[in-house]
Amino acid sequence: MEESKKKKTKEIKTLEELDRIAKMLGRKDLELMEKREELEEKIKEMDEAKKKETVLRIREQAKTEDVERKAKELEETRVALMNILEDVEEARRKAEEERDKTQAIIANLVDGLLVFDEENKISLINPQTEVFFNVKAKDVVGRQILELSTFPTIEPLVKMVGPEIKGVFRKEIKIKENLVLEVSTVPMMREEEKLGTLVILHDVTREKMVERMKTEFVSVAAHQLRTPLSAIKWTLRMLLDGDLGKITEEQKEFIEKTYRSNERMINLINSLLDVTRIEEGRYLYKPILTDIESVVQFVLNSHEEEIKRKKLKLEFKKPKKKLPRVKLDVEKMRLAIDNLVANAIKYTQPGGQVTVSLKNVKKEIEFSVKDSGVGIPKDQQARIFTKFFRGANVIKMETEGTGLGLFITKNIIEAHGGKIWFYSKEGVGTTFYFTLPIKVEFEEFLKRF
Amino acid sequence: MFKKILIIEDEEIIVDLLQRKLTNEGYEISVARNGEEGLKMMREVKPDLILLDIIMPKMGGLEVMEEMQKDKKLAKIPVIVISNSGQPVEIDKAQKLGAKDWLIKTEFDPQEVIKKIKKQIG
Repeated sequence: MEESKKKKTKEIKTLEELDRIAKMLGRKDLELMEKREELEEKIKEMDEAKKKETVLRIREQAKTEDVERKAKELEETRVALMNILEDVEEARRKAEEERDKTQAIIANLVDGLLVFDEENKISLINPQTEVFFNVKAKDVVGRQILELSTFPTIEPLVKMVGPEIKGVFRKEIKIKENLVLEVSTVPMMREEEKLGTLVILHDVTREKMVERMKTEFVSVAAHQLRTPLSAIKWTLRMLLDGDLGKITEEQKEFIEKTYRSNERMINLINSLLDVTRIEEGRYLYKPILTDIESVVQFVLNSHEEEIKRKKLKLEFKKPKKKLPRVKLDVEKMRLAIDNLVANAIKYTQPGGQVTVSLKNVKKEIEFSVKDSGVGIPKDQQARIFTKFFRGANVIKMETEGTGLGLFITKNIIEAHGGKIWFYSKEGVGTTFYFTLPIKVEFEEFLKRF
Repeated sequence: MFKKILIIEDEEIIVDLLQRKLTNEGYEISVARNGEEGLKMMREVKPDLILLDIIMPKMGGLEVMEEMQKDKKLAKIPVIVISNSGQPVEIDKAQKLGAKDWLIKTEFDPQEVIKKIKKQIG
């Protein structure tokens, strides 16, 4: 019994236990269900996350690829840029080299250079210009041309070219003692646009000095020669006049020839002196209002004998109405006309015709002398006004002659503001013309100096 | 009475020639070889006319004339200038200083001297 009871109790206990276990199991199952749900949820979440991650990773990968590609491209661009940069660098170096070269040329040029911009302000001067004007570039660069007058050494240049820097070609200016410059101005153009003006200064001091020395030499030599020549002239004259005692016919003949030779020498010396005075630029002397007809007449009268001797027909054509007076240096004008008339007489064969005429043409007086002489060979016509030049045909026919006459004449006419020209045909004759401006024009001409 | 002429000139041959020519013409001639001597002599001789060279040692012709201007008596004596160069500038200066006439050495002969002298003093 006990046993059974025990057993029963044991059975009851097991049932209870089972029930409890079943209940517990039921609870556990619920719990597990929940857990599972939870886990599933979690898995889902994780899956979700994983998915996201993958997308991200894919994206990331794509991004990396992109970046890599871009980096590559960048590298390529960089290389290309480097290449370009190198080219630019090369070009820059070349440009710099060019610039240095140009600057070196400008700096070492023996000529002075001044560059003015379009507003006529100095933008550059080279070292030689600094030396010429004794100024420093920094003191003048950026200044207006007119402001430069304050530098006494630059003032003559400013006066010459004016505020607008006018065109000048090889004009001389004296800057100071022992410095003569030859100035040329060149406009700098880019197509139609003016960029400025270039002023070039060339030192001609030495040339001027040599020229002056030559002129002085001739001048001194000529003066020194005049005194003994005068003594010879006077002595011969007195011998001829019988002042120093009686002479025979034969002696007289010789002395007369010597006298004429001496006169030629005096003429040559006088012509040389005229040339040196022309070259020294102190030739014209006090022009006064003069009736040119009387000057021409005076010259013609002085040749009367020669014209008669050569049996030349001389005609002097002049207008009925009196010509206006012109400003002349009478001595010089006489010499100019005399040279032309003397040539016409000298180079015309006996019996020929010489026609001198005076006309009033517009505001000028025109003089001409026409001959029926030997003419000037065509190939030599260009050199006719050159000093010491004589035509080949006249040298053969007449050894006497200095070749200075027409040079002097041209200078005299031009110093009066006139022009001289000629027409000539060998074997037919020559006509020389010159014009002189009537007073008003001439005064304006003089004002320019 | 002979008219008196003073020649002031340093060139010997010119002096000789002038002296000869003018003596032949009947003038009484005295000679000075430079400007200084010339001034001294014109005070002593009191010439009727002076022939005066421009370029001379010691004192030139233009200076001689300047000195003459300062002395009333000397200023009255007619002067004929003998110019070597014949340059207008020189002649102009001489005229301003009272020269009556001028001769250019290479351009005249002795006959002309006589003419110019006669024109001044007969």
